[in-house]
Amino acid sequence: MDPVQFMSHHTAVEYKIPEPSLLTIHFGEELAKGRIIGHKCPQCGKVYMPPRGYCPLCVVETTEANEVEVSNAGTITTFSVITPLQYQGQEETEDYVQATLLLDGADTTIMVMRMDGIAIADVRMGMRVRAVFPTAGGGAASNSQLIARGMGLGDAVDHWEPTGEPDLTREQIAEHIL
Amino acid sequence: MTATWKLEFPYRRSVGPVIGAFLTGLRDRKVVGVRTTGGHVLVPPFEYDPDTGDAVGDMVDVGSSGVIVHAAWVVEPLRTHPLDRPFAWALVRLDGADTPLLHALDCGSADRAGPGTRVRIRWAAETTGHLSDIECFELET
Repeated sequence: MDPVQFMSHHTAVEYKIPEPSLLTIHFGEELAKGRIIGHKCPQCGKVYMPPRGYCPLCVVETTEANEVEVSNAGTITTFSVITPLQYQGQEETEDYVQATLLLDGADTTIMVMRMDGIAIADVRMGMRVRAVFPTAGGGAASNSQLIARGMGLGDAVDHWEPTGEPDLTREQIAEHIL
Repeated sequence: MTATWKLEFPYRRSVGPVIGAFLTGLRDRKVVGVRTTGGHVLVPPFEYDPDTGDAVGDMVDVGSSGVIVHAAWVVEPLRTHPLDRPFAWALVRLDGADTPLLHALDCGSADRAGPGTRVRIRWAAETTGHLSDIECFELET
């Protein structure tokens, strides 16, 4: 037999994510209906989406009374093209785009949104896109879990499509680029 | 409502000529150490003498029995531990070695894991070239 040259070392971390808050559940339920909601700070007017229940800048609580609907259209502020390495357990085979989006009416961005509906070569900073929700209304099952982890809109959105509007300029989105 | 998340890192490491020889030895159910230029036998082997930084010399076979140097008793084993019952983590200096090897010791109770106690390797039923080829140590008598 050949001498031993390699050693497998398998490390795993298994954990339970906490129960989503009532606010997160409410956000997920509204999202399943195709409504994206946020909380508008009564003091500074910034709209947080998903709602946090407080404005961290003004240090004031926000409640249902501060709920506002945010548009399902927005702007790609920044993005990455991911080329999946074929490591063990990898499920992706093709390049894909993950973008950070600023939805119209919101002051916070949502991250790691997949732009599967748009050709990679067409994706650009400032591009205007619109959410397309699944027709059968479904997809809400794992939303709360993903949202509770800060994973944007979970899988509520089927895909994103270009709106065809002119791009926003770098200056217009500068504050929302990481 | 909760969700379970599992994050996995399946690594495959190259082990090099010295650790490779050690693991190859384990696969053959024997322990291999390395002799330093100063004449000490290091088990498990190092690629360099930790005292001087010098390159090490030849690989040498050592015994599969030895003596406990230190031990720490584990009252409640964790899921990832090698044994599912209370055991000791023991530093065992094998016969012919100058340095101790850390492994689990299956000895039933803490008072049997004192320094100086003679122990021997209990080999795994199937050996693959991994430290787990040593299932654990057990008392010699």
